[in-house]
Amino acid sequence: MRFIDLLRMSVSNLWRRKLRTFLTVLGVIIGTASIVVMISLGLGLSKSTMEQIEQSGGLTTITVREGGGVSYSSGSVAVAVDSSSSDENSGKITDETAEKIMAIPHVEIASPVLSLYPILKCGAYEGNISVRAMTTEALKAMDIPLAEGASLPLDEENLQFLYGNQIITNFYNAKTNEYYWDTGVLPDIDLTNDPVFFIMDSDAYWNAKYGGTDENGNPVAQPKKYMYESTGLVAGTAEEYNEFSWEAYCNIEALKTQLKRIFKNSKIPNQPTRSNGKPYKEWYYEEMYVKVDEMENVTEVQQQISDMGYYAYSNAEWVEQMEGQYAMVQAVLGGIGAVSLFVAAIGIANTMMMSIYERTKEIGIMKVLGCSLGRIRDLFLMEAGFIGLSGGVVGLILSYGISALINTLLSESYYSSISYIPLWLSGVALVFAVLIGMLAGLMPALRAMRLSALSALRNE
Amino acid sequence: MGADKKPVIQVRNLHKVYSIGKNKVHALNGVSLDIYEGEFCAIVGTSGSGKSTMLNMLAGLEKPTKGQVVINGEHIETMNENQLVKFRRDHVGFIFQSFNLLQTMTAQENVALPLVFRGEDKKVRLKKAGDLLDLVGLPEHKKHKPNEMSGGQQQRVGVARALVVDPEIIFADEPTGNLDSNTSRDIMNMMQKVVREQKKTLVMVTHDNHLASFADRIFHIIDGKIVKIEDNRQGENEE
Repeated sequence: MRFIDLLRMSVSNLWRRKLRTFLTVLGVIIGTASIVVMISLGLGLSKSTMEQIEQSGGLTTITVREGGGVSYSSGSVAVAVDSSSSDENSGKITDETAEKIMAIPHVEIASPVLSLYPILKCGAYEGNISVRAMTTEALKAMDIPLAEGASLPLDEENLQFLYGNQIITNFYNAKTNEYYWDTGVLPDIDLTNDPVFFIMDSDAYWNAKYGGTDENGNPVAQPKKYMYESTGLVAGTAEEYNEFSWEAYCNIEALKTQLKRIFKNSKIPNQPTRSNGKPYKEWYYEEMYVKVDEMENVTEVQQQISDMGYYAYSNAEWVEQMEGQYAMVQAVLGGIGAVSLFVAAIGIANTMMMSIYERTKEIGIMKVLGCSLGRIRDLFLMEAGFIGLSGGVVGLILSYGISALINTLLSESYYSSISYIPLWLSGVALVFAVLIGMLAGLMPALRAMRLSALSALRNE
Repeated sequence: MGADKKPVIQVRNLHKVYSIGKNKVHALNGVSLDIYEGEFCAIVGTSGSGKSTMLNMLAGLEKPTKGQVVINGEHIETMNENQLVKFRRDHVGFIFQSFNLLQTMTAQENVALPLVFRGEDKKVRLKKAGDLLDLVGLPEHKKHKPNEMSGGQQQRVGVARALVVDPEIIFADEPTGNLDSNTSRDIMNMMQKVVREQKKTLVMVTHDNHLASFADRIFHIIDGKIVKIEDNRQGENEE
């Protein structure tokens, strides 16, 4: 018996009982759609999370902190510099470190991050801010979203600052001591155009203000204020958070030049000192920004940096963990969907069983006329498979519809898509629907095969 | 007569015992017979005589309890079900009392059905089926479904279906049992004519002595035993 005849025969048998076939297929449609939609929700969730991480460049960046071989438990909190440490070689980040890390294969950028916490004065307002100074390449590589008219502080000669869009909420009125959080009114200052004065040595400022003395007992003089250019703001309002919202960015070369000019031979704030209180000759950094070429190389590079005695942190482990969690979520959601497909499978089995009882005589005739046993089994398997296939196809189309509907109705959140059906899911769903159909049809098909031709013929 | 011919069917000491509850019923009790090529044989007996059991066993639809059935030199009592299916497909045509046509198919498709199982091309098999429907006198009914035809017409379709595989042997189980006497005679005449023209061996089971008289030889079976073998041809020859 030819395959095409088998196909023709099974389709015409299904077509004969349109309503029953339709109802059975409907079960598979609902089953397939529920599985696909459920899994697509899980996939959408993990996809939009991944996109977010990717947008922030987080998948290829490694944050390096001084470590002395010790891993800090959390990377997101800045680890205080242990300036009293006497072991100069262990895990301190210097310019030499940057060169060593640059030498690791796959590393594209290794930029030291010089942190500084100056006090800013602007009109009647004062604010404590955190400054991150980085190299030109690193500033470019970070994909900082810029507000209109703003640019990156790439000038290595003149010190310029790019302000995070939420920094303004850190300012308080120096007279009333009221913060934005107290009043709910944004300080009336424009960091881009108003003159902003920097007090680099905030310790000295506080000491001078409250009558502190230096180690010789002399009153501390009011530190000088400096005014620097602004290149603008990070994109977003004062309420909109992104990972660049809370810091000011500047070029590391320009900042170093400026700091050397201001502090000459005395201690630069936030830099460690020798036990005798004198500053070191080289620069020490709290942190280093490392960018790797491809995501799959991150773990390897991270390991090498750790082996050098630094604490290296990337999103890679976190992403792996997230992937594991999302796989669980998907399995649970898929399992819920699978229940309805299981019910549909019972429907298929039932339909095929009924069909065999109805067609007992027909099966008998076919056997007597020389239809081989295997072909009778195939015929019924194929019918069941067809129910699965057509249910799968329609269910899949339905899933795409539902998915589109969910995404349009609920697109207001920051997820790019809530429901996401990748091509592989479509393929798997189809194959699965057919397999389920055939599996459900197997028992009835074997039963049909084993029917005795004679008793089938006697069945009137 | 018959000695110079080759037996197509050889039955030797055939027994069939049914267990009904604790009782054993001997449906066939040591039957032996030879049927030769090109013969039209009738097996005649009353209801319960074992004639249908006999036919089922010749066609391999039932296993004998004891004894041998050799068709074309092959022992069909030892075949498994798949071999039997293949054997029937290649050597045997069937005509049933209740026609057993598939209601969903047209006359032509019904006739072509055994060829489907043989894997013949659609064009070829429909052509053959069409030719045979012409032969059995239904050129106008090729596209008709069984429920659009009379009993006689349906049985003609049944005959055409039995012939389509070009079998060596045709088994007919009460082929006119559901037909009125006029139609029965037409069908019998037609079968007789076709079988003679195409040199087929036809084995027919019936309870009707009159219908049996169409056959060349008649086996009378009572209580599972052959009690008399009539040879019509000798009679004809002598007359």
